[in-house]
Amino acid sequence: MINRILRYGLIFILLFLLQVLLFNNIKFSGYVNPYIYIMFILLLPAEIPSWLLLILSFFTGLTMDLFSGTPGMHTSATVMAGFIRPYTLRIISPRDGYEPGTDPSMMVYGLKWFLIYSSLIVIVHHLTLFYLEVFRLTDFFSTLLRVILSSLFTVAFIILLEYIRKGK
Amino acid sequence: MRNLLNFLARYNNLIIFLVLQGIAVYLLSTGNNYHNSRFVKGFRSLTAGIEKRVSTINSYFQLRDISQLLARENAALRTSIERLSASSDQLFFSVTDTVHFQQYTFTSAQVVNNTLNRQKNFITINKGSLQGMKVDMAVISGDCVAGVIVGCSKNYSVAMPLINPDFRLSARLRKNGYFGSLSWDGSDVRHVTLNEIPQHVTFGVGDTVETTGYSAIFPEGIMIGTISDFEKSGGDFYKIRIALGADFRKLSYVTVIGNLRKEEQLELENQFQ
Repeated sequence: MINRILRYGLIFILLFLLQVLLFNNIKFSGYVNPYIYIMFILLLPAEIPSWLLLILSFFTGLTMDLFSGTPGMHTSATVMAGFIRPYTLRIISPRDGYEPGTDPSMMVYGLKWFLIYSSLIVIVHHLTLFYLEVFRLTDFFSTLLRVILSSLFTVAFIILLEYIRKGK
Repeated sequence: MRNLLNFLARYNNLIIFLVLQGIAVYLLSTGNNYHNSRFVKGFRSLTAGIEKRVSTINSYFQLRDISQLLARENAALRTSIERLSASSDQLFFSVTDTVHFQQYTFTSAQVVNNTLNRQKNFITINKGSLQGMKVDMAVISGDCVAGVIVGCSKNYSVAMPLINPDFRLSARLRKNGYFGSLSWDGSDVRHVTLNEIPQHVTFGVGDTVETTGYSAIFPEGIMIGTISDFEKSGGDFYKIRIALGADFRKLSYVTVIGNLRKEEQLELENQFQ
Protein backbone atom coordinates (compact mmCIF):
# COMPACT_ATOMS: atom_id res chain seq x y z
CA MET A 1 0.00 0.00 0.00
CA ILE A 2 2.75 2.43 1.05
CA ASN A 3 4.68 1.24 -1.95
CA ARG A 4 1.77 2.12 -4.18
CA ILE A 5 1.33 5.58 -2.71
CA LEU A 6 5.01 6.26 -3.23
CA ARG A 7 4.79 5.02 -6.81
CA TYR A 8 1.85 7.30 -7.60
CA GLY A 9 3.61 10.15 -5.84
CA LEU A 10 6.57 9.64 -8.09
CA ILE A 11 4.38 9.47 -11.21
CA PHE A 12 2.67 12.68 -10.11
CA ILE A 13 5.95 14.53 -9.64
CA LEU A 14 7.45 13.26 -12.89
CA LEU A 15 4.34 14.16 -14.88
CA PHE A 16 4.27 17.64 -13.44
CA LEU A 17 7.96 18.17 -14.11
CA LEU A 18 7.40 17.12 -17.72
CA GLN A 19 4.30 19.25 -18.05
CA VAL A 20 5.73 22.41 -16.54
CA LEU A 21 9.25 22.22 -17.88
CA LEU A 22 8.60 20.77 -21.30
CA PHE A 23 5.00 20.70 -22.52
CA ASN A 24 3.97 24.10 -21.24
CA ASN A 25 6.64 25.53 -23.50
CA ILE A 26 5.29 23.99 -26.66
CA LYS A 27 3.59 26.82 -28.50
CA PHE A 28 2.77 25.11 -31.71
CA SER A 29 1.06 27.79 -33.84
CA GLY A 30 -1.13 28.73 -30.89
CA TYR A 31 -3.45 25.79 -31.39
CA VAL A 32 -1.63 22.99 -29.64
CA ASN A 33 -1.22 22.82 -25.89
CA PRO A 34 -0.79 19.20 -24.80
CA TYR A 35 -1.72 18.67 -21.16
CA ILE A 36 -0.16 15.31 -20.33
CA TYR A 37 -0.52 15.73 -16.56
CA ILE A 38 -4.05 14.32 -17.02
CA MET A 39 -2.27 10.97 -17.37
CA PHE A 40 -2.08 10.85 -13.58
CA ILE A 41 -5.87 10.55 -13.41
CA LEU A 42 -5.83 7.93 -16.17
CA LEU A 43 -3.34 5.74 -14.36
CA LEU A 44 -4.97 5.65 -10.91
CA PRO A 45 -6.04 2.10 -9.94
CA ALA A 46 -9.29 0.84 -11.42
CA GLU A 47 -10.79 -0.04 -8.05
CA ILE A 48 -10.14 3.36 -6.44
CA PRO A 49 -13.25 4.74 -4.70
CA SER A 50 -14.96 7.48 -6.65
CA TRP A 51 -14.75 10.06 -3.88
CA LEU A 52 -10.98 9.60 -3.57
CA LEU A 53 -10.64 9.83 -7.33
CA LEU A 54 -12.57 13.09 -7.35
CA ILE A 55 -10.50 14.58 -4.55
CA LEU A 56 -7.22 13.52 -6.16
CA SER A 57 -8.45 15.03 -9.45
CA PHE A 58 -9.27 18.21 -7.64
CA PHE A 59 -5.79 18.54 -6.17
CA THR A 60 -4.15 17.60 -9.46
CA GLY A 61 -6.00 20.41 -11.16
CA LEU A 62 -5.27 22.79 -8.30
CA THR A 63 -1.54 22.06 -8.57
CA MET A 64 -1.65 22.70 -12.29
CA ASP A 65 -3.50 25.94 -11.69
CA LEU A 66 -0.80 27.02 -9.24
CA PHE A 67 1.84 26.47 -11.90
CA SER A 68 0.00 28.17 -14.73
CA GLY A 69 -1.61 30.99 -12.69
CA THR A 70 -5.15 30.26 -13.81
CA PRO A 71 -7.19 29.62 -10.65
CA GLY A 72 -10.06 27.20 -11.17
CA MET A 73 -9.61 26.42 -14.84
CA HIS A 74 -7.59 23.21 -14.63
CA THR A 75 -9.32 22.28 -11.37
CA SER A 76 -12.70 22.34 -13.03
CA ALA A 77 -11.46 20.35 -16.02
CA THR A 78 -9.72 17.66 -13.95
CA VAL A 79 -12.69 17.28 -11.60
CA MET A 80 -14.80 16.77 -14.69
CA ALA A 81 -12.35 14.17 -15.98
CA GLY A 82 -12.30 12.43 -12.58
CA PHE A 83 -16.07 12.40 -12.53
CA ILE A 84 -16.47 10.70 -15.90
CA ARG A 85 -13.62 8.21 -15.43
CA PRO A 86 -15.70 5.52 -13.63
CA TYR A 87 -18.40 5.74 -16.30
CA THR A 88 -15.81 5.53 -19.07
CA LEU A 89 -14.27 2.44 -17.45
CA ARG A 90 -17.70 0.86 -17.19
CA ILE A 91 -18.55 1.51 -20.82
CA ILE A 92 -15.35 0.13 -22.30
CA SER A 93 -14.73 -2.65 -19.78
CA PRO A 94 -13.08 -5.78 -21.21
CA ARG A 95 -15.16 -8.91 -21.57
CA ASP A 96 -13.88 -10.48 -18.35
CA GLY A 97 -13.84 -7.25 -16.30
CA TYR A 98 -10.90 -5.54 -14.67
CA GLU A 99 -8.37 -7.59 -12.77
CA PRO A 100 -8.11 -6.32 -9.21
CA GLY A 101 -4.84 -4.69 -8.26
CA THR A 102 -3.95 -3.48 -11.75
CA ASP A 103 -3.67 -0.03 -13.26
CA PRO A 104 -5.84 0.77 -16.24
CA SER A 105 -2.72 0.99 -18.39
CA MET A 106 -1.63 -0.02 -21.89
CA MET A 107 0.59 -2.77 -20.55
CA VAL A 108 -2.36 -4.59 -18.99
CA TYR A 109 -5.22 -4.02 -21.42
CA GLY A 110 -3.52 -3.33 -24.71
CA LEU A 111 -3.06 -0.37 -27.05
CA LYS A 112 -6.52 -0.27 -28.58
CA TRP A 113 -8.32 -0.26 -25.25
CA PHE A 114 -5.97 2.32 -23.79
CA LEU A 115 -6.33 4.55 -26.86
CA ILE A 116 -10.12 4.68 -26.52
CA TYR A 117 -9.92 5.11 -22.76
CA SER A 118 -7.40 7.96 -22.81
CA SER A 119 -9.02 9.67 -25.81
CA LEU A 120 -12.42 9.85 -24.13
CA ILE A 121 -11.11 11.33 -20.90
CA VAL A 122 -8.62 13.65 -22.59
CA ILE A 123 -11.30 15.03 -24.89
CA VAL A 124 -13.66 15.70 -21.99
CA HIS A 125 -10.85 17.34 -20.04
CA HIS A 126 -9.75 19.49 -22.96
CA LEU A 127 -13.28 20.46 -23.89
CA THR A 128 -13.92 21.72 -20.36
CA LEU A 129 -10.53 23.39 -20.11
CA PHE A 130 -10.49 25.22 -23.43
CA TYR A 131 -14.08 26.38 -23.29
CA LEU A 132 -13.57 27.59 -19.74
CA GLU A 133 -10.50 29.46 -20.91
CA VAL A 134 -12.33 31.18 -23.75
CA PHE A 135 -15.60 31.43 -21.78
CA ARG A 136 -17.81 32.51 -24.63
CA LEU A 137 -19.43 30.82 -27.55
CA THR A 138 -18.53 33.34 -30.26
CA ASP A 139 -15.28 31.56 -31.13
CA PHE A 140 -16.94 28.18 -30.88
CA PHE A 141 -15.35 26.49 -33.87
CA SER A 142 -11.84 27.81 -33.53
CA THR A 143 -11.93 26.65 -29.91
CA LEU A 144 -13.21 23.27 -31.04
CA LEU A 145 -10.31 23.02 -33.47
CA ARG A 146 -7.90 23.77 -30.63
CA VAL A 147 -9.59 21.13 -28.48
CA ILE A 148 -9.27 18.48 -31.21
CA LEU A 149 -5.66 19.26 -32.14
CA SER A 150 -4.52 19.50 -28.52
CA SER A 151 -6.33 16.28 -27.64
CA LEU A 152 -4.58 14.50 -30.52
CA PHE A 153 -1.19 15.65 -29.31
CA THR A 154 -1.94 14.90 -25.68
CA VAL A 155 -3.12 11.38 -26.48
CA ALA A 156 -0.08 10.85 -28.72
CA PHE A 157 2.31 11.94 -25.98
CA ILE A 158 0.50 9.83 -23.39
CA ILE A 159 0.78 6.74 -25.60
CA LEU A 160 4.45 7.58 -26.13
CA LEU A 161 4.99 7.83 -22.37
CA GLU A 162 3.24 4.50 -21.92
CA TYR A 163 5.64 2.92 -24.42
CA ILE A 164 8.58 4.41 -22.51
CA ARG A 165 7.15 3.03 -19.26
CA LYS A 166 6.65 -0.35 -20.89
CA GLY A 167 10.18 -0.41 -22.23
CA LYS A 168 11.70 0.16 -18.81
CA MET B 1 -33.67 10.55 7.94
CA ARG B 2 -32.86 7.12 6.56
CA ASN B 3 -34.10 8.22 3.18
CA LEU B 4 -31.82 11.19 3.35
CA LEU B 5 -28.84 9.01 4.22
CA ASN B 6 -29.74 6.61 1.44
CA PHE B 7 -29.97 9.51 -0.92
CA LEU B 8 -26.56 10.83 0.19
CA ALA B 9 -24.99 7.37 -0.07
CA ARG B 10 -26.43 6.84 -3.50
CA TYR B 11 -25.46 10.17 -4.95
CA ASN B 12 -22.30 10.80 -2.95
CA ASN B 13 -20.19 10.91 -6.12
CA LEU B 14 -22.40 13.44 -7.74
CA ILE B 15 -22.46 15.52 -4.58
CA ILE B 16 -18.68 15.48 -4.19
CA PHE B 17 -18.35 16.27 -7.87
CA LEU B 18 -20.71 19.22 -7.61
CA VAL B 19 -18.98 20.53 -4.50
CA LEU B 20 -15.52 20.31 -6.03
CA GLN B 21 -16.73 21.74 -9.32
CA GLY B 22 -18.38 24.53 -7.36
CA ILE B 23 -15.08 25.34 -5.66
CA ALA B 24 -13.35 25.30 -9.04
CA VAL B 25 -15.90 27.64 -10.58
CA TYR B 26 -15.66 29.89 -7.54
CA LEU B 27 -11.88 30.02 -7.95
CA LEU B 28 -12.35 30.64 -11.64
CA SER B 29 -14.75 33.50 -11.13
CA THR B 30 -12.86 35.23 -8.34
CA GLY B 31 -9.30 34.53 -9.45
CA ASN B 32 -9.50 35.68 -13.04
CA ASN B 33 -10.56 39.17 -13.96
CA TYR B 34 -11.75 38.11 -17.38
CA HIS B 35 -13.89 35.26 -16.10
CA ASN B 36 -15.17 37.38 -13.28
CA SER B 37 -16.44 40.05 -15.63
CA ARG B 38 -17.98 37.43 -17.89
CA PHE B 39 -19.75 35.89 -14.92
CA VAL B 40 -21.10 39.19 -13.73
CA LYS B 41 -22.25 40.07 -17.22
CA GLY B 42 -23.93 36.70 -17.63
CA PHE B 43 -25.82 36.96 -14.37
CA ARG B 44 -26.84 40.50 -15.19
CA SER B 45 -28.39 39.56 -18.48
CA LEU B 46 -30.10 36.61 -16.81
CA THR B 47 -31.62 38.65 -14.01
CA ALA B 48 -32.26 41.78 -16.05
CA GLY B 49 -35.23 40.23 -17.82
CA ILE B 50 -36.83 39.11 -14.59
CA GLU B 51 -36.16 42.40 -12.86
CA LYS B 52 -37.67 44.31 -15.74
CA ARG B 53 -40.87 42.29 -15.53
CA VAL B 54 -41.06 42.69 -11.75
CA SER B 55 -40.55 46.44 -11.96
CA THR B 56 -43.24 46.71 -14.64
CA ILE B 57 -45.70 45.02 -12.31
CA ASN B 58 -44.53 47.13 -9.38
CA SER B 59 -44.97 50.33 -11.32
CA TYR B 60 -48.51 49.30 -12.09
CA PHE B 61 -49.26 49.00 -8.40
CA GLN B 62 -47.64 52.37 -7.75
CA LEU B 63 -49.81 54.15 -10.31
CA ARG B 64 -52.19 55.39 -7.63
CA ASP B 65 -49.39 57.00 -5.64
CA ILE B 66 -47.82 58.41 -8.76
CA SER B 67 -51.01 60.02 -9.98
CA GLN B 68 -51.58 61.48 -6.53
CA LEU B 69 -48.10 62.91 -6.59
CA LEU B 70 -48.63 64.37 -10.05
CA ALA B 71 -51.93 65.93 -9.03
CA ARG B 72 -50.24 67.56 -6.03
CA GLU B 73 -47.40 68.74 -8.19
CA ASN B 74 -49.85 70.19 -10.71
CA ALA B 75 -51.57 72.13 -7.98
CA ALA B 76 -48.25 73.49 -6.74
CA LEU B 77 -47.24 74.49 -10.24
CA ARG B 78 -50.55 76.23 -10.81
CA THR B 79 -50.10 78.13 -7.61
CA SER B 80 -46.71 79.34 -8.70
CA ILE B 81 -47.93 80.21 -12.21
CA GLU B 82 -50.69 82.24 -10.67
CA ARG B 83 -48.21 83.96 -8.40
CA LEU B 84 -45.85 84.77 -11.25
CA SER B 85 -48.44 85.95 -13.75
CA ALA B 86 -50.14 88.10 -11.15
CA SER B 87 -46.95 89.79 -10.08
CA SER B 88 -45.65 90.45 -13.59
CA ASP B 89 -48.17 93.19 -14.32
CA GLN B 90 -47.40 95.15 -11.19
CA LEU B 91 -44.68 97.73 -11.12
CA PHE B 92 -43.95 97.75 -7.43
CA PHE B 93 -44.23 94.87 -5.06
CA SER B 94 -42.57 93.52 -2.01
CA VAL B 95 -40.40 90.55 -2.82
CA THR B 96 -40.66 88.93 0.55
CA ASP B 97 -44.44 88.83 0.63
CA THR B 98 -44.96 85.94 -1.68
CA VAL B 99 -48.73 85.72 -1.42
CA HIS B 100 -49.43 89.41 -1.82
CA PHE B 101 -50.30 89.31 -5.51
CA GLN B 102 -51.53 85.81 -5.53
CA GLN B 103 -55.23 85.70 -6.07
CA TYR B 104 -55.92 82.00 -6.38
CA THR B 105 -54.74 78.93 -4.50
CA PHE B 106 -54.84 75.45 -5.97
CA THR B 107 -55.20 72.24 -3.97
CA SER B 108 -55.58 68.78 -5.37
CA ALA B 109 -58.13 66.40 -3.90
CA GLN B 110 -59.41 62.96 -4.57
CA VAL B 111 -63.03 62.24 -5.27
CA VAL B 112 -64.29 59.72 -2.73
CA ASN B 113 -67.95 59.74 -3.65
CA ASN B 114 -69.76 60.88 -6.72
CA THR B 115 -73.40 60.61 -7.66
CA LEU B 116 -74.63 60.81 -11.21
CA ASN B 117 -78.06 59.31 -11.42
CA ARG B 118 -79.99 61.70 -9.19
CA GLN B 119 -81.30 65.12 -9.94
CA LYS B 120 -79.41 66.77 -7.12
CA ASN B 121 -75.98 65.26 -7.61
CA PHE B 122 -73.09 65.85 -5.28
CA ILE B 123 -69.36 65.10 -5.23
CA THR B 124 -67.50 64.27 -2.02
CA ILE B 125 -63.78 64.99 -1.91
CA ASN B 126 -61.19 63.95 0.66
CA LYS B 127 -60.09 67.41 1.81
CA GLY B 128 -61.90 69.46 4.42
CA SER B 129 -61.60 72.54 6.54
CA LEU B 130 -58.40 71.23 8.14
CA GLN B 131 -56.82 71.24 4.70
CA GLY B 132 -58.03 74.76 3.99
CA MET B 133 -61.24 74.01 2.15
CA LYS B 134 -64.03 76.57 2.43
CA VAL B 135 -67.54 76.90 1.13
CA ASP B 136 -67.76 78.54 -2.31
CA MET B 137 -64.39 77.37 -3.53
CA ALA B 138 -64.27 76.29 -7.16
CA VAL B 139 -63.69 72.69 -8.16
CA ILE B 140 -62.17 71.87 -11.53
CA SER B 141 -61.30 68.57 -13.12
CA GLY B 142 -58.32 68.75 -15.44
CA ASP B 143 -58.83 72.10 -17.13
CA CYS B 144 -62.59 72.10 -16.96
CA VAL B 145 -65.15 73.34 -14.48
CA ALA B 146 -66.59 70.63 -12.24
CA GLY B 147 -68.48 72.38 -9.46
CA VAL B 148 -68.46 74.48 -6.32
CA ILE B 149 -67.92 73.44 -2.72
CA VAL B 150 -71.09 73.77 -0.70
CA GLY B 151 -70.13 72.22 2.62
CA CYS B 152 -67.04 71.22 4.57
CA SER B 153 -66.37 68.92 7.48
CA LYS B 154 -62.92 68.56 9.06
CA ASN B 155 -61.56 66.21 6.45
CA TYR B 156 -64.19 66.06 3.74
CA SER B 157 -65.99 68.50 1.54
CA VAL B 158 -69.09 68.22 -0.56
CA ALA B 159 -69.21 69.97 -3.88
CA MET B 160 -72.18 70.72 -6.04
CA PRO B 161 -71.31 69.73 -9.59
CA LEU B 162 -72.45 71.36 -12.79
CA ILE B 163 -74.95 68.54 -13.12
CA ASN B 164 -77.18 69.76 -10.31
CA PRO B 165 -80.26 71.86 -11.09
CA ASP B 166 -79.38 74.28 -8.29
CA PHE B 167 -76.06 75.11 -9.88
CA ARG B 168 -75.84 78.53 -11.45
CA LEU B 169 -72.82 79.94 -13.17
CA SER B 170 -72.21 82.81 -15.50
CA ALA B 171 -70.44 81.66 -18.64
CA ARG B 172 -69.29 83.32 -21.79
CA LEU B 173 -68.27 82.49 -25.32
CA ARG B 174 -64.53 82.59 -25.55
CA LYS B 175 -64.71 83.88 -29.12
CA ASN B 176 -66.54 87.15 -28.50
CA GLY B 177 -67.10 87.46 -24.75
CA TYR B 178 -70.90 87.46 -24.69
CA PHE B 179 -72.06 85.90 -21.49
CA GLY B 180 -75.12 84.14 -20.25
CA SER B 181 -76.19 81.96 -17.38
CA LEU B 182 -75.53 78.26 -17.21
CA SER B 183 -77.80 75.61 -15.75
CA TRP B 184 -78.55 71.92 -15.98
CA ASP B 185 -81.92 70.65 -17.12
CA GLY B 186 -81.53 67.34 -15.33
CA SER B 187 -81.60 65.10 -18.37
CA ASP B 188 -78.10 64.29 -19.51
CA VAL B 189 -74.92 64.21 -17.42
CA ARG B 190 -72.85 65.18 -20.42
CA HIS B 191 -74.65 68.36 -21.37
CA VAL B 192 -75.69 71.63 -19.75
CA THR B 193 -77.63 74.58 -21.10
CA LEU B 194 -76.48 78.14 -21.62
CA ASN B 195 -79.24 80.75 -21.77
CA GLU B 196 -79.47 84.47 -22.30
CA ILE B 197 -77.14 84.75 -25.28
CA PRO B 198 -78.73 87.39 -27.53
CA GLN B 199 -79.75 86.36 -31.03
CA HIS B 200 -77.55 88.82 -32.83
CA VAL B 201 -74.44 87.08 -31.60
CA THR B 202 -72.78 84.77 -34.10
CA PHE B 203 -71.21 81.49 -33.04
CA GLY B 204 -70.96 77.96 -34.27
CA VAL B 205 -71.01 74.40 -33.08
CA GLY B 206 -67.70 73.56 -31.39
CA ASP B 207 -67.04 77.02 -29.97
CA THR B 208 -65.60 77.04 -26.49
CA VAL B 209 -67.56 78.24 -23.50
CA GLU B 210 -65.62 79.44 -20.45
CA THR B 211 -66.10 81.05 -17.05
CA THR B 212 -66.37 84.80 -16.66
CA GLY B 213 -64.85 85.49 -13.28
CA TYR B 214 -67.76 87.73 -12.27
CA SER B 215 -68.80 85.45 -9.46
CA ALA B 216 -65.52 85.68 -7.52
CA ILE B 217 -65.59 81.89 -7.33
CA PHE B 218 -64.03 80.76 -10.58
CA PRO B 219 -61.00 82.40 -12.10
CA GLU B 220 -61.61 83.91 -15.46
CA GLY B 221 -61.30 81.78 -18.59
CA ILE B 222 -61.65 78.24 -17.32
CA MET B 223 -63.21 76.01 -19.92
CA ILE B 224 -66.68 74.62 -19.33
CA GLY B 225 -67.26 72.81 -22.60
CA THR B 226 -68.04 73.27 -26.27
CA ILE B 227 -71.24 74.10 -28.04
CA SER B 228 -72.95 70.98 -29.36
CA ASP B 229 -76.14 72.55 -30.73
CA PHE B 230 -78.41 75.55 -30.20
CA GLU B 231 -81.93 76.74 -30.88
CA LYS B 232 -83.87 79.97 -30.59
CA SER B 233 -85.98 80.06 -27.50
CA GLY B 234 -88.75 82.62 -27.37
CA GLY B 235 -87.85 86.28 -26.96
CA ASP B 236 -84.48 87.31 -28.22
CA PHE B 237 -82.26 84.61 -26.85
CA TYR B 238 -80.59 81.41 -27.86
CA LYS B 239 -80.79 78.24 -25.87
CA ILE B 240 -77.39 76.61 -26.29
CA ARG B 241 -76.56 73.04 -25.40
CA ILE B 242 -73.00 72.62 -24.19
CA ALA B 243 -71.04 69.37 -24.17
CA LEU B 244 -69.18 69.39 -20.86
CA GLY B 245 -65.41 69.29 -20.86
CA ALA B 246 -65.32 67.44 -17.55
CA ASP B 247 -66.50 63.86 -17.65
CA PHE B 248 -68.40 63.29 -14.41
CA ARG B 249 -68.64 59.58 -15.03
CA LYS B 250 -64.94 59.09 -14.42
CA LEU B 251 -64.05 61.86 -12.03
CA SER B 252 -61.11 60.82 -9.83
CA TYR B 253 -58.87 63.78 -9.06
CA VAL B 254 -60.00 67.38 -8.90
CA THR B 255 -58.31 70.65 -8.17
CA VAL B 256 -59.92 73.02 -5.69
CA ILE B 257 -59.39 76.69 -6.35
CA GLY B 258 -59.70 79.25 -3.60
CA ASN B 259 -59.93 82.97 -4.24
CA LEU B 260 -57.88 84.88 -1.67
CA ARG B 261 -59.52 88.20 -2.52
CA LYS B 262 -63.10 87.03 -2.53
CA GLU B 263 -63.95 88.55 0.86
CA GLU B 264 -62.51 91.86 -0.17
CA GLN B 265 -64.50 91.91 -3.38
CA LEU B 266 -67.77 90.85 -1.74
CA GLU B 267 -67.35 93.29 1.10
CA LEU B 268 -66.91 96.13 -1.31
CA GLU B 269 -69.82 95.05 -3.44
CA ASN B 270 -72.09 94.71 -0.42
CA GLN B 271 -71.60 98.35 0.47
CA PHE B 272 -73.50 99.32 -2.67
CA GLN B 273 -76.29 96.80 -2.67
